[in-house]
Amino acid sequence: MAVALEAIALNKRFNNLQASNNVSLAVEQGEIRGVIGPNGAGKTTLVNLVTGVYKADSGDVKLAGESIVRCDMHEIARRGLVRSFQVTRLFGSLTVAENLRTAFLARRPTDGGDGGAQIDSMLDLTKLRPLANTQAKKLSGGQRALLQMGCGFMVPGSCYVLDEPFSGINPVIKDSIIEMILDVNRRHNATFLIVSHEMTIIRRLCPKVTVMMEGKVAAHGSLDEVARLPEVIAGYLGKALE
Amino acid sequence: MSAFASTGFGRSAITILVAAAVLLLLPLVASSFVLHVATIGFYYVILAASWNLLAGYTGQFSLAHHAFAAVGAYTSGLLGYHWGISFWIGIPAGVLLSAAMGFVLGRLVLKMRAIYLAIATWAFAETVHVYLTADYQFTRGELGLSVKPLFGSVDPLKYYFLFLGLTVVLLIGMRALIDSPLGYFMRAIKDDELRAKSLGIDTTKVKVAIFSLSSAIAGLAGGFYAHYTVLLSPQMIDFSEMAKIVIMVVIGGFGTFLGPIIGAAPVQVVMTYLQSWGEWNLAVFALIVIVLMRFSMEGIAAVFTPLWRRMWRDG
Repeated sequence: MAVALEAIALNKRFNNLQASNNVSLAVEQGEIRGVIGPNGAGKTTLVNLVTGVYKADSGDVKLAGESIVRCDMHEIARRGLVRSFQVTRLFGSLTVAENLRTAFLARRPTDGGDGGAQIDSMLDLTKLRPLANTQAKKLSGGQRALLQMGCGFMVPGSCYVLDEPFSGINPVIKDSIIEMILDVNRRHNATFLIVSHEMTIIRRLCPKVTVMMEGKVAAHGSLDEVARLPEVIAGYLGKALE
Repeated sequence: MSAFASTGFGRSAITILVAAAVLLLLPLVASSFVLHVATIGFYYVILAASWNLLAGYTGQFSLAHHAFAAVGAYTSGLLGYHWGISFWIGIPAGVLLSAAMGFVLGRLVLKMRAIYLAIATWAFAETVHVYLTADYQFTRGELGLSVKPLFGSVDPLKYYFLFLGLTVVLLIGMRALIDSPLGYFMRAIKDDELRAKSLGIDTTKVKVAIFSLSSAIAGLAGGFYAHYTVLLSPQMIDFSEMAKIVIMVVIGGFGTFLGPIIGAAPVQVVMTYLQSWGEWNLAVFALIVIVLMRFSMEGIAAVFTPLWRRMWRDG
């Protein structure tokens, strides 16, 4: 199988902190990969390096075999690598529908039209239709997370990097987000890299996980395999998963 | 027609055209002094609306907008004064130079945040101001640069129609821009630039494009203004001119399409009649701005929004 997203020996230092220490991982086309690890392990740094928010001190990032490590953020997004932020980022003064439209226009396919149909179906899928003309800053936390996710799916990407998409949201919205992920994964064979602490969701979505600790990759494997490793239990889980 | 009237653009365009039709009749009842005040009012509507594109919609709080109007005015004025070149070349040359300078300034301040951008652009405007004053052998400085009137005389009637037409065309154009993809990207950048980038928006390109465009519009207005007032002085880049633009937009409604239109004309009219108060009238307006910025950035436009909705019978 082809590798969709590859990080090769990424290093990033902030003052005295080696936030990313020789991090390598490869995610295959259509795979949903989980990234787990304690707070401060460098998970968000990895997301920011891969999506161009930070420039790596050394190392490379490849999307579908092409290096993107020198690309600007917007170029990376246009190549089909879409991300979400841990602290939800939306355009607060724009309405829900305008947020979706902006996301559509930003990566509009050449014969894309104005996105009316896509906005319609996304309002249904996220069940945000009653709030279509409400400013995004007036939404609840869960609604914001849902909208952020919806924006990412307005134009199908080839690869998604999601930073804590399930944190602080109620179970119903969590399920909606999981369904959206599975739907895009199935229909477009899209690749996912999902940072999360939610072990039950990770177990359900991700056949394989990458464990990060102290800026390094500590292990790769299925959740049950890595959960048995003594260093993962000691450094992250505290006790074995039941 | 009804489909056209259901879009924001269609509604605004219809409203602008209706208002313009009414204003076409003003010369039937107004004195030439009133027409003069209205003509200058249109000039400020254009400056306020184009600055609002940059500051209100894109979040780039530039304090150099009046300088671009002066660049447009002086380019055409100087070409005519020194080389007898017609405004047909002078005004377009002024527009191009304003756009080019806007492009360069836009690139220079690209990474700057709010207050730093304001200070840098203000410094740029002061540089232009100092140049126009200091190089008086070329620019005539405080002596004033005399410019040929556009229509042979300075009777306000023709200029009134000219500025009305220019304002209508530019406002409709700006409304179309705001409703275009670029307009969405502008508002996105103002709200959250990192988020805009992460969605795939080339924020550098958008910001520089709007910087050039709004500067070009200011340069265009300045060019016509020069050939109406027929005497230019560095007064045009006095900071009070920029303050006036900010006051107009904030009173009308910062970041709203209607704001600069309904803010500029009344502020200009009131300032004209309060001229005997000198700089004090600016101080009074400044106070109003402080109060408005504290409580609502949507100014007078906030009052009109519900009326507007009712007029088109929605929500």
